[in-house]
Amino acid sequence: MPAHPAVRLDHVGKQYDRTGAFAVRDLELDITPGEFFSLLGPSGCGKTTLLRMIGGFVDPTEGSVLLDGEDVTGLPPNKRNVNTVFQSYALFDHLSLADNVAFGLKRKGVARAEIRERVGAMLDLVQLGHLADRKPATLSGGQRQRVALARALVNRPQVLLLDEPLAALDLALRRRMQVELKQIQREIGITFVFVTHDQDEALTMSDRVAVMNQGRIEQCGTPEDVYERPTSTFTASFMGTSNLVPGTYRAGAVHLDEGPALPVGPRAGLADGTRVNLSIRPEKIWLSDFEPDMAQTTGTVRETVYSGPTTTYLIDLAPGITVSVLEQNTVRSRREDRWSGGEQVDLAWKPEHCLVLD
Amino acid sequence: MATTDDRPAIPDTRPSTPAPSKPVRRDTRLWTWLLLPGTLWMTGFLVASLVLVATLAFGTTDPLGNPRFGLNTDNFAALAEPAYRTVLLRSLGYALITCVICLAIAYPVAYAIALRGGRFKNLLIAAIVIPFFANYLVRMYGWSVVLSDDGPLLKALRALGIADAGTRILQTGPGVIAGLVYGFVVFMIIPLYAAMERMDTSLIEAGRDLYGGPLRTFFFVTVPATRQGAAAGCVLVFLPAMGDFVSAQLMGGPDQIMIGNLIQDKFFQGQNWPLGSALTMLLMAVLFLGLLGYLRRARQDEAEAVR
Amino acid sequence: MTGKTAPARRTPARRRAATRRPRFAIAVTVLFFALLYLPVGVVVLFSFNARKSLTVFDGASLRWYRAFFRDDLLLDSLGMSLQVSFVAMAGSLLLGVALALGLVRNRGRLGSLAGLVMLVPLITPEIVTGVAAMLLFKGTGIPLSTTTVMLAEITFSISYVTVILRSRIAALNPETEEAAMDLGATRRQALRLVTLPALLPSILASAVLIFALVFDDFVLAYFTTGVDPQPLSVRIYSAIRFGVQPTINAVGTLMLAGSIALIALALAIPRLFGRRGGLDLLSGE
Repeated sequence: MPAHPAVRLDHVGKQYDRTGAFAVRDLELDITPGEFFSLLGPSGCGKTTLLRMIGGFVDPTEGSVLLDGEDVTGLPPNKRNVNTVFQSYALFDHLSLADNVAFGLKRKGVARAEIRERVGAMLDLVQLGHLADRKPATLSGGQRQRVALARALVNRPQVLLLDEPLAALDLALRRRMQVELKQIQREIGITFVFVTHDQDEALTMSDRVAVMNQGRIEQCGTPEDVYERPTSTFTASFMGTSNLVPGTYRAGAVHLDEGPALPVGPRAGLADGTRVNLSIRPEKIWLSDFEPDMAQTTGTVRETVYSGPTTTYLIDLAPGITVSVLEQNTVRSRREDRWSGGEQVDLAWKPEHCLVLD
Repeated sequence: MATTDDRPAIPDTRPSTPAPSKPVRRDTRLWTWLLLPGTLWMTGFLVASLVLVATLAFGTTDPLGNPRFGLNTDNFAALAEPAYRTVLLRSLGYALITCVICLAIAYPVAYAIALRGGRFKNLLIAAIVIPFFANYLVRMYGWSVVLSDDGPLLKALRALGIADAGTRILQTGPGVIAGLVYGFVVFMIIPLYAAMERMDTSLIEAGRDLYGGPLRTFFFVTVPATRQGAAAGCVLVFLPAMGDFVSAQLMGGPDQIMIGNLIQDKFFQGQNWPLGSALTMLLMAVLFLGLLGYLRRARQDEAEAVR
Repeated sequence: MTGKTAPARRTPARRRAATRRPRFAIAVTVLFFALLYLPVGVVVLFSFNARKSLTVFDGASLRWYRAFFRDDLLLDSLGMSLQVSFVAMAGSLLLGVALALGLVRNRGRLGSLAGLVMLVPLITPEIVTGVAAMLLFKGTGIPLSTTTVMLAEITFSISYVTVILRSRIAALNPETEEAAMDLGATRRQALRLVTLPALLPSILASAVLIFALVFDDFVLAYFTTGVDPQPLSVRIYSAIRFGVQPTINAVGTLMLAGSIALIALALAIPRLFGRRGGLDLLSGE
C-alpha cells in the first residue's frame, strides 16, 4: 500500500526573473504510484515547466517538490530518481543504441554484466534488440522515440517524465505508439507523467488527467471526469467540442437572452439570476426517439455536415446561438432521411448531460 | 513502490501553507571556470600589450635610442608633419581604392557562382578560398613575379598592344594596390557570395520585368539586396589593407610606402619605439572610425529590417 | 552589366531573357580565376626549373628541392614552424574550446566581457597585434625566441577557435546535455561524455585550420621571433626581399601542397563523421 504519492507538488510556483510573470502558480498536485498521469493544456500553460520542475531542470521559485515523500527541491537532475523522455529525444549521436541505453547504468556504476543484460532486455522490450550496434542517425523517428524510452526506463526510475514524446511522429505512427506506450507502462508499473497538448492522446492513455491553463490546474481527474463533467468553461471547451450557450439561470432552466428557456434540472447552490454557460456535448443532444425525462426545445437547421460515420447539424436556437449536434449515421442512414438547412427540428437531452458552468 | 516503515503512513500532516521557497543555486560555476583561463590569457597578453602600446606612444627615447615612458605628446605632434600626413593619406587612398576594386571583382564573381554555379558552387568557392590559405608571402611573391617587367602579364599586354615597352606595374602605386587586391579579395567575395545565396533569385527576375536592362536591374535590385554583405566585405578588406606592409615592399618603391612600412621601420631599422607606437595608435584610430561607421550603418539596416 | 546582350525581346522569350547567362559576370570570373592561380602556378612551375630564372623555363629538375633539403637554416626554420604550429594549435584549442563553451553558456557580465576581449584580435590588423606583442615581451624582459612566437600565436588563434566553435555549440540541442544529467551525469560529466564528443568534428576541423593558419602566418611571427631560428615564413620574407631565390619557389610549393592538404582535411572532417556543412568553417571568417 502506497504511503507516499510518487510525486507531490506542494504549492509550487515558478516566476521568471525578467518579466515577473508566473509560468506555474501556487500549484498542488499528488501523483499516485503506478499511474499514467497526463498534464494536458495549450502551449504556454506551464505544463512543460511543471514537468521540468519534477525532473530538476527548473527550480521552483516557491513551494517544494517531493518524490516518494522525499523533498528534492533544489536537487540537480542527476540526484533524482526520475528519468525523462525528451521531446527531441536528445539521443547521443556518437554512441550506439546499446551505449545510449547503457549511459545511465554506467553513471550509476552498475556491474558490466548486469548492464549488458538489462540493456539487452530493454532493447528487446522496445523491439530494437537487432539494432543494438547501430548509431541513432540511421534510425526512423519511431525507432528513435523507442530508444529514448528505453534509455530512460532501463534505469528503473520512480517516475518517468515524458515531454510530448509523440509530437514529432506522423498520425498513424502516433496512434500505434500510444498503444505501445500504454502497454509498456502497464507491464513495468512505473509512474508515467506525460505532457501533451493533444486531448485525444491524454484521454486514450491516462489514468488521470490534469488540465492546465495559465500556470494552474483547471481540473484534475479521470479522463471520463474531465471529458464528461468539466468544471470550468476552459476545460469544457478545451476537451473536445462542446456547445457553450450563455444565459441566465432561473428555476431549473437556463434562460437565453433572446429565445427559449432550456431546462437543465435543478442545480443546488446556484442562485437564481446567475449568469452561466450551459455546456453540452454535441453527441449528447438527440434529434429523435426522445425519452420521457428529457428536456426538449426546438431550433432551425442552419447547415448539415456529412462526414462518413457521423453527421453534424448546426442548429440555431436563438439569434446568435448555434449548437452543433453530432449523430451517428445509423439512425438516418439515407440522405433523404436527414434534415437540411431551414428545417425545424426538435432537440432533446438528458438534464444530467447538461453542465452549468460559471 | 516499496515504502519503509519509519516513514509516517499518512504524509498529510505537513502544513498546508506554501512552503518557504529555498535558496536555489543553479550550478553555473563550471561555465565561469571555463571562461576564466581564456579570458585571463587574452587580457594578460592582448589587452595588456595594447595598453602598453598606447602608453609608450606618450614616451620618448633616450640618446641611445632606448624607449622611455613619459607623458608628452611630441610623437603625436610629429605625426602632423607633412611627410607622415602624406603616408597616412596614401595608405587611406590605397586601402579605399583596394575596397572599390575588390567590390568590382567580387560582385560579378559572387554573382556568377551564386546564380550560375549549380552543383559546382561549393567547389568553386573552395577553389577561391584554398589559395588564400597558401602562405601570404609566397602568394605575394608569385604575384610580384607575374607583375614584373618581363613577367607574363606585361608580356601579354605588350603583345596585345595595350602596354608599351616602358609600361611598368612594379614600383608604382597601381602595383601596390594590385598586391593588396590579390591579398585580400577573398574577404570580399565570401560575404558577398553568402549575401547572394540568401537573396531570392525571383527578385532579379522581377527586377528584369520592372526595370528592363540587366545593368539597371543590377543597380536597383542586386546591389541593395546584398548591401550588408558588401559592407562586411569592405570592412574585412579595408582592415588588413590599411595595416599591410608587404605589398608596398614587394610591389612599390620608396614613393609608395604605407603606414605599415613606417611602423615596421620605427620598430626595426629606425629604433624609435615611441614614435612607432604613436603611428600604431593612429592606425588603430583610423580603423576604429571606419569600424564605428560600419557598425552604425549595420544597426540602421537592422532597424529598417525590423520595421 | 552587359552592354552587348541581345536586345530585349517582348514575347515568350521575355521570361527566358530574365535568366539568360550573365556573360559579363562569367567573363570576369574566368579572368579572376586565371589571375588567382597564375602567381601560384608560376611559383610551382619555376620550382622545377633547371635554371636560376623566373622568366625562362629551361627543363624540369628537382635541383631547388635538393637545395632546400640541404639548407640547414631553412630546415631549422621548417622545424620551428612545425613546432610553433603544433603548440599554438594545442594551446589555442584548450583555451578556445573552454572559452567558447563558457561564452555560450554564461550569459552574465563576465561572459559579455570575455566576448568583447575575444573579438579584439579579429578587428585589429596583425601589424598592431604584432607590435603590441613585441613590446609586451621586450617590456617584461622576455627575450624573443620560439616561445614568444608560440605565446603570440596562441593568443591570436584563440579567437578563431572560439568564433568557429561558438556557433557550433549554440547549434547543439540543449536537451542532449540535459538528457545526460537526467541519466545521472554531473554537469562536468555531461560536458565530457556528450557535448565534447558531439563537437569533436568541429574541434578537429578547427585544429587543422589553426595549424595551417599559424604555419603560414607571417606578420605576428615576424614581430615576435628571435634571430635564430626564425619561422619559415620570416625566412621567406628575408629571402624574397632580395630578388630571385629559386629555393623559395620549392619551399613555397611544398608549403602550398601542405596547406591544400590541410584545408582539404579540415573540409572533409565533418563529412568523415557523417555530418554536413564543412564549408561554413571557412565562411566563419
